[in-house]
Amino acid sequence: MYSDLLHALPDVFAWTNFAAVVIGVIAGIVVGAMPGLSATMAISVLVPFTFGLEPLVALGLMAGIYNGAMYGGAIPAVLLRIPGTPAAVATTFDGYPMAQKGEGGFALQVAVVSSSIGGIASAFALMLLAPPLSKVTLLFGPSEVFWVAVFGLASIIFLLGGNPVKGLISACFGVFVSVIGSDPIYGNDRFTFGQLEMLDGINIVILLVGLYALPPVIDLLETPLKTDGVNSSKLGTEPIWKALPRMKSFWKTWLRGSFLGIWIGILPGAGGSMAAFMSYNEARRTSKHPETWGEGEPEGVAAAEVANNADTASALIPALTLGIPGTAVAAVMLGGLLVHGLQPGPMLFRDNPDIVFGFMWQFLFGAILLVLLGGSLATNSFARLLNLPRPLLGSVIIVLMLIGVYSIHGRMFDVYLMLGFGAIGWVMDRLKFPLPPVVLGLILGGFAEENLRLALRIGRGDPMVLFQNWTSLILVALTVAVVVGPTLKKRFIDSRKKA
Amino acid sequence: MPESRNSRLTRPETLTAVGIIVVAAGFLVPTYDLRAISALLPAAMLIGLIVLSVFLLLADQRKASAGEDAAPMTKAPKRVIGAFLMIVSYALACDFVGFYISTAVTIPLVAWTFGYRSPVGLLIATVIVVGTIWAIFDFGMSQDFPAGRLWGR
Repeated sequence: MYSDLLHALPDVFAWTNFAAVVIGVIAGIVVGAMPGLSATMAISVLVPFTFGLEPLVALGLMAGIYNGAMYGGAIPAVLLRIPGTPAAVATTFDGYPMAQKGEGGFALQVAVVSSSIGGIASAFALMLLAPPLSKVTLLFGPSEVFWVAVFGLASIIFLLGGNPVKGLISACFGVFVSVIGSDPIYGNDRFTFGQLEMLDGINIVILLVGLYALPPVIDLLETPLKTDGVNSSKLGTEPIWKALPRMKSFWKTWLRGSFLGIWIGILPGAGGSMAAFMSYNEARRTSKHPETWGEGEPEGVAAAEVANNADTASALIPALTLGIPGTAVAAVMLGGLLVHGLQPGPMLFRDNPDIVFGFMWQFLFGAILLVLLGGSLATNSFARLLNLPRPLLGSVIIVLMLIGVYSIHGRMFDVYLMLGFGAIGWVMDRLKFPLPPVVLGLILGGFAEENLRLALRIGRGDPMVLFQNWTSLILVALTVAVVVGPTLKKRFIDSRKKA
Repeated sequence: MPESRNSRLTRPETLTAVGIIVVAAGFLVPTYDLRAISALLPAAMLIGLIVLSVFLLLADQRKASAGEDAAPMTKAPKRVIGAFLMIVSYALACDFVGFYISTAVTIPLVAWTFGYRSPVGLLIATVIVVGTIWAIFDFGMSQDFPAGRLWGR
């Protein structure tokens, strides 16, 4: 299977595919640098525009944006103490004090090199771990696939933290949306209310744009951020090759942060923020001079940035092999794969090896390009983006959202539907209902239903067919563990505290 | 001091829970006309939504009884409502008046209303955005945008 990996390499160097990665990285840095915009939102807005593109061009753009945004988030985190993305919160701890001491340029150099190293490690993890895992999943029949879907949903709901009731409501809503349209087996109309536009079901892109792009736009318009671009105009960054020798001592932090980021990325429900915090805490704990941390310690920036980029590609390991995304961005990228007819799971590796392995290479090149494109001159330019007026940005995104959704089928009905999902998404966002279970519910709902019905047919209606082999039973046990685990853990911690 | 009865019922989570229960119950009705196997998953999800929303409602009301204030959905409701209305109006305008006219008006209008007041900046941004959209989508990709139902097309 690794030979397919090498066969896919030449395709990635086709100029359109390579240009897509370059453009994606630049766009990602721009998006990440703007507080309020995230990789998830950028990819949601982008997906409808990629319909007409070759899959590797579309996926290259997404991979580039994902890598770029994870570094871009460090720019306002360092210069303004405002994390551009949630994963950059830990970068503010030492990045901003460095900027105050006049070392903002070096802080951003450390961030870009660390981000690149994290991204490269993550891409290698994706290349090495996804193919063998996909082979295991080839052994799955309908009942196992059904349980994989249930396990995926349970993981996202219960490991995402917060309120499980709200997580379950989000998931039920997502699964319900997945059943709208024609019944896949009998062809009955379900909840279409006579609308022909609904017969094919709800297009995932409409949901993605509504849920992930509209609420940030409202946020931009609600509280126009008064940014202070003072630090951005006097960065004075030196060339990377001059800054590198000062980072020699960070190698252990990079190694540890990469492992943590990769591990957390693979776990469904965890994300870049958790990876960055854990890596920062570990690096501080093992530091010889922990007292300087929080006052402008470059290693703190390295620890946070290497981990939040190491989480990127690895979050796609469960997404590509099982259809279970590890993070919200991975869920959106899964949607991006689906619109190009690429169904995540074992068949993806068998039927579309050039595309799936090409996508992995694109992740790797995106991470390498980060150093070149996010280096001295570019960082200075990207930092100036912080001065862009937020209301103008908001109005342009509104236009892009409309164009993107309208372009899918060339009809305004989809735009109104997107606005409806956007309103729901905004309410959910404000009341802290998690959004990834909605997307996952839509992706896995139809998949789960189809396989459940197939399994029941095979078992002639006997539900025990769902529990008839070890793989199913293991998946059921894992699901139960995911559901019950956090409660047991909390009780254990509480009882230890009382003791 | 506990909140008044009226404000207890207008707490955002309570209102959302009640809204979900009502909508889910409404959607549950058509499932009776479906084959049992077709109705299985949607009905299960809708019943799940109703049951979970009852939990959410009870939890929120319990918090209200304990005197816990509900966090407001927004600190600037007028701006949020304004933003929503502008986005909806833009979609309707595209549908009825046409894409290019609506976009050329919406970009400066939204930016001006929400705090960006440089006429030159607005003009430049509008020309660049509308021009780029025309060049890429209309000219380059032959994408048809809504021409406006009012003009009878």
